[in-house]
Amino acid sequence: MSENHHDTSESGPAARVKALETLLAEKGLLDPAAVDSVVDTYETKVGPRNGARVVAKAWTDPEYRARLLKDATAAVQELGYAGPEGGHLVAIENSERIHNLVVCTLCSCYPWPVLGLPPVWYKSFAYRSRAVSDPRGVLRDFGTELPNDVEIRVWDSSAEIRYLVIPERPAGTEGMSADELAEIVTRDSMVGVTKIAAPARRGSKKKSATE
Amino acid sequence: MSTAALDQLVKAARLDPDHVFSAPWEARAFAIALKLSDAGVFSWDEFRARLIAEVGASDRVHERDGTSDHGEYYEHFLRALERLLAEKGIVSS
Repeated sequence: MSENHHDTSESGPAARVKALETLLAEKGLLDPAAVDSVVDTYETKVGPRNGARVVAKAWTDPEYRARLLKDATAAVQELGYAGPEGGHLVAIENSERIHNLVVCTLCSCYPWPVLGLPPVWYKSFAYRSRAVSDPRGVLRDFGTELPNDVEIRVWDSSAEIRYLVIPERPAGTEGMSADELAEIVTRDSMVGVTKIAAPARRGSKKKSATE
Repeated sequence: MSTAALDQLVKAARLDPDHVFSAPWEARAFAIALKLSDAGVFSWDEFRARLIAEVGASDRVHERDGTSDHGEYYEHFLRALERLLAEKGIVSS
């Protein structure tokens, strides 16, 4: 393939983004401060902690769980989670017999309001191309070994539908509060590539209201 | 594409579990696209169609050559954004 001989750092992505931002601001189409604010929102405010709270509530409140399984978009809105790429959210529940795995084979569709932006591996060719053809192999790469009689269901996200996996609540967590449970729910478990390990020690974590 | 490639990405993810952007320009490109879509310059679906085209073209190259990606998703993202803005006559291509 021929290389563009003007391909210096000035045509690198950082410079192109800067040029684009400058041009759009000049045309009055973009406020640079608004760009800063979006970056801050997605780096610090919207993230998998939101989804973890949803899962913890579903584990501890059977009526909420039922609402979540029936209409996840509405159920996460009850907790204040809404926004772009959150429409038509579907919650799917793992059990002893069924394990759910979420992918977007075409690009990177992901439930932003509950999980934030997708991690690097979710967008990678390796993950997107193998999750459907070899889900068990992908799970193994993430250190998740499932017994052979567990059915793996793979859900391909799209512009229309986004998925949130409700992982299995690990044994030994009886008596933990929803806040405590939210701390053990991981992003990867809500995409379905891992399970949640039982907490090693009870009572070592103090109840926290932090992000 | 290989298990090793995925393995590498998984390890990277574990080292930095909340890592979604690899460089500041990626975050800015994302934010620019989102704000322009909010402002009605284009719809997110229009943008997604270009993104799918860019990602698909890259996937075909990886499939043909048996290579894996190196986390270049936001390069596709940026190219999709530039192409869409050029189609709209907002930037010159």
